[in-house]
Amino acid sequence: MNVLTVENISKSFGKFQAVKNLSFSLEKGTMFGLLGPNGAGKTTTIRMIMDIIIPDSGHITPINRGNGKNENKNDYIGYLPEERGLYRKMKAGDLLLFLAELKSMIKKEAKREIDYWLERLELSDWKNKKVEELSKGMQQKLQFIATVIHKPEILILDEPFLGLDPINTNIIKDIMLELNKNGTTTILSTHLMEHAEKLCDEILLINKGKAILNGKLREVKRDFGRMNVLIEYDGSDRFLKESEQIKKYDNYGNYVEVHLKENADTQKLLQEAMQSAAIRKFEVVEPTLHEIFIETVQKTDTKH
Amino acid sequence: MLSKKIIAVIKREFLTRIKTKGFIIGTLLLPLLMLLIMGGVVIFAIFMTDEQKTIYVIDQTGRIFEEFEQQFPDTLNNGERVYKFIEKKVAPALSVVPHGIQSDKDAALEQFRKQILNKEIDGYIYIPEDVIESREVKYAARNVTNFEEQTRFTNALSRIVTNIRLENLGLSAEEIRREMTLGRIRLNTPQVTERGEVESSGGVNVAIAYILTYLLFLTLMIYGQMVMRSVIEEKTQRITETIVSSVKPFELMAGKITGICALGITQLAVWGFIILIPIVYGESIINRFAPEAAEIIRLVRLVHFSGTTFIFFIIFFILGFMLYASMYAAIGAMVNTEDEAQQLQFPIILPIIIQYMLFFIIVQRPESNMAYWMSIIPFFTSILMTARLSVMEPQMPDGLFLSVFLMIITVVLLVMLVSKIYRVGILMYGKRPSIKELIKWVRYS
Repeated sequence: MNVLTVENISKSFGKFQAVKNLSFSLEKGTMFGLLGPNGAGKTTTIRMIMDIIIPDSGHITPINRGNGKNENKNDYIGYLPEERGLYRKMKAGDLLLFLAELKSMIKKEAKREIDYWLERLELSDWKNKKVEELSKGMQQKLQFIATVIHKPEILILDEPFLGLDPINTNIIKDIMLELNKNGTTTILSTHLMEHAEKLCDEILLINKGKAILNGKLREVKRDFGRMNVLIEYDGSDRFLKESEQIKKYDNYGNYVEVHLKENADTQKLLQEAMQSAAIRKFEVVEPTLHEIFIETVQKTDTKH
Repeated sequence: MLSKKIIAVIKREFLTRIKTKGFIIGTLLLPLLMLLIMGGVVIFAIFMTDEQKTIYVIDQTGRIFEEFEQQFPDTLNNGERVYKFIEKKVAPALSVVPHGIQSDKDAALEQFRKQILNKEIDGYIYIPEDVIESREVKYAARNVTNFEEQTRFTNALSRIVTNIRLENLGLSAEEIRREMTLGRIRLNTPQVTERGEVESSGGVNVAIAYILTYLLFLTLMIYGQMVMRSVIEEKTQRITETIVSSVKPFELMAGKITGICALGITQLAVWGFIILIPIVYGESIINRFAPEAAEIIRLVRLVHFSGTTFIFFIIFFILGFMLYASMYAAIGAMVNTEDEAQQLQFPIILPIIIQYMLFFIIVQRPESNMAYWMSIIPFFTSILMTARLSVMEPQMPDGLFLSVFLMIITVVLLVMLVSKIYRVGILMYGKRPSIKELIKWVRYS
């Protein structure tokens, strides 16, 4: 079941066209990666989905819960905007209560959830402190709590890991995966591919306002059609220079990453390698989303 | 209509502000400060009269000084006379000095001037010999700005000169005194109202009008700017997008204005209460502790400050606040920093200041055509109608209900327009919009 359908939306700001004829749909329960370089139109797209700005043309089918009850749709969306901030003079607990009330939560339940989430994100001691006394990272976590506190059916996260250290990034990732497992549909907008790679089932890559890649992550990788080989060896590196299968390679000292030519035969490469060196490790790996991202973006950039 | 979300916004705007030290201090301190200032003025006045004034009187006629001095029997707190008049005799004889011929009079006056400058005396009064005919007297002093003092001197001297002239016509001193006393009239100034003629409160009600309009002036500015700052805070702290993912921009604006309006009413109510205490209980308090201050009791009794005035005062605060606060909200949405807002808020402050200025004219003639027309202009109504209402109390000024009606219409239209600017503006960062862009914003939503 589609929870969201976007058809041919476009948006310009003056002469600058931020989004051009963008279409995609979102199935319930997916972790959807909205990817693209800075200024690609990710935030504009999300704001149009959130009804904060109105598309110049095209249509967004209102988020469909599948039970016919679609009024107050904001109440079951959790939105973490890229431009985020909090009332600095309010106490953390009061602020969360206020934001929960804005999502039509009942006070008693909201208070229970606030305690649960503050505990989980190790902010319990800060409940009665003013927001301005919290560190940047703590404020980020506070904002994340505000996004998920009302148990939204759809989460829209615009660069959620911005300004978080690796430990907190992992905590947030775990929560995202846990919520996703429990049926929350998530749109994750980011320009950091390693996060998207680990989290997303499905991606939409946009550049300069246009979709350039869309589909399930596995299929996208398969369709990209290129495999790399990681080799660890002792002995001569002659095979690297002589093999017909290799387009180019990067020697990282401990191991070599080999980029294969199209239709290359990995077995043949293994044989060649064994003849000149003692192989300790030979691993065929899928291209990283990072590579796909850079290559696809560069390809579309040169086309224009 | 009033959704739970709006109530949440109202509650936040109200509660976060009412708990601040600034609000609590401002609410309690201002009336206290006013009392202190009023007390200070009284103390200052007492302190000022505590100094005796020494004035030389050169009476060339020899007939005026004694009677003149008798006219100023007022004493200081320490029992001394306020004015110490010293008679100086100067012969009109001439004498030769290095630069030519000089009369003794000129030399004496020159000497007095030096004494004045040395602060030995405060001034001198020169009454020429022919004062009965010329009717001119000179009063020279270091400070001649005291109008009340000059009026007293003039009246005293006039009376004496008139008496002498009448005596010259052959009337006896006794007859003159009797005629002068019988000739005095007293001007009664009742106010014509629907309840008939009542003893006028005159100045007292003007004072009440002054206080009420000053409070309106103050609160309209302060609370309007509070709305603006609240909008700017959400913009600069990048809070807006989080909030509008839960509530509609209009709900946010409505909640914000209502919450801060409630705060303003709270403050006015506290102030009103503090002002009402002396008006309602003043008489019994004074009777108990200072029964000799009968004049103050009479004034307190004259104050007409009815519930009607108070209700309309609050109505005009609410409507005026809605009017100005919605414009302030639009400005907050249009700018990025408070500095930018400073430049833009002039068109809003101007009508507030103009109506406050007009108050001083209108309070003199609250029933004039000009007062009527000015006070039904919605941007001026709040202060001017309140002024007319409290001065004319217990009478209702013309156009009272018309002005309320016009204000409501204006507020509704303005809120509709402003909410469109607000909706677009709160998510716009960067350059301030031009008029052309503003029109686009309004059309766009």
